[in-house]
Amino acid sequence: MKSPYEILGVAKTASADDIRKAYRALAKKLHPDLNPGDKKAEERFKEIAGANDFLSDNTKRAKFDAGEIDAAGTETQASRERQYYRDHAQTQQQPRGNPYANQSAYEDFASEDDLFAQIFRRQAEQTRNAKGADVQYRMTVEFLEAVAGASKRITMPSGATLNVNIPAGIQEGQTLRLKGKGQPSTGSGGAGDALVTISVSPHKFFTRVGDDIFLELPVTIKEAIMGGAVKVPTASGSVMLNIPKNSNAGSTLRLKGKGVAGKGDQFIKLKIILPTKPDPALDEFLSKWNPDPSYDPRKEMQP
Amino acid sequence: MIIAKTEFLVRSKLDPQTLEIWVSEQWLIPQEDAFTEADLARAQLIQDLKHQMGVNDEGVGVVLHLVDQLHGVRHAMAALLESARNKNNN
Repeated sequence: MKSPYEILGVAKTASADDIRKAYRALAKKLHPDLNPGDKKAEERFKEIAGANDFLSDNTKRAKFDAGEIDAAGTETQASRERQYYRDHAQTQQQPRGNPYANQSAYEDFASEDDLFAQIFRRQAEQTRNAKGADVQYRMTVEFLEAVAGASKRITMPSGATLNVNIPAGIQEGQTLRLKGKGQPSTGSGGAGDALVTISVSPHKFFTRVGDDIFLELPVTIKEAIMGGAVKVPTASGSVMLNIPKNSNAGSTLRLKGKGVAGKGDQFIKLKIILPTKPDPALDEFLSKWNPDPSYDPRKEMQP
Repeated sequence: MIIAKTEFLVRSKLDPQTLEIWVSEQWLIPQEDAFTEADLARAQLIQDLKHQMGVNDEGVGVVLHLVDQLHGVRHAMAALLESARNKNNN
């Protein structure tokens, strides 16, 4: 592995100023944006930038000179994530065409009436006729809005608002395409689309799997044993549900057609909740109560 | 992806006054305060030119103009080659 001194081509005794000068000279030659066609330029530029950062840090340089550390990993986080202008200028698909595009360097060729001129003209026309770019948005909707559908608004960076119609039953991660709501074309190509990715925020007590809605319903001991009608929330308002006599904890009841968008069902799992305060009447009853010996919920669990 | 002005300032580490000057010089051409990743990469190039290569403000405009022309030529070149290749294949 090359030492940072070798990378910058300076002596070990070089002053901070020498290092800066050497780095500048190499940076001018190797900056990827000044070498748009040279794929290796980026690697070499990162290498010299890393070496420069390393040697500009006096503590690191002293430790390296003393042999305490090596110069591995000189590449900084920032230089790894760095993107270069050339990568954007090279693609035609920029969100609003390329405002920096400049044809002046070959316009004189294009004025001739020959094959090359035709190609240049066609290229310019394609740029003019290209559709505007698609724009990505993210949007969070409430659980019940996702179930029943809703009409929402997005404020775009330009300040304009965009109406988004959320269809009933939309799923987490689904993307809506709003035709023609993206960036305008620079020419006659028509606007791009707005792509809105939906995330659904969780509900306090409903959960959802596909088109079915699940709910854990707390009931009293008496309701579980004696049965009876109780009020149950659904995505479309409350309904009365008849709990059968002797419904055990964890048993599941189904409300047909009360799922998402009329397609799925709602499933209700019973959860027996004791009184929050001790109930003397219940205590008295249970202390006198002698259940049938076959009532042993742990009989399968004998070791 | 569109970047709002506030996010652009954070990611480019520019202060608002400097950004205003760069826009008025047309070094950057945002659309109604909406920036793109390309604008961000361009801002980083300008910072490299100024701070790492010692290019002064007059020089930055010259360099950007030539870089833009170079990309124009590269596009034209790519189109020419593409068309020549298509002819050969037919």
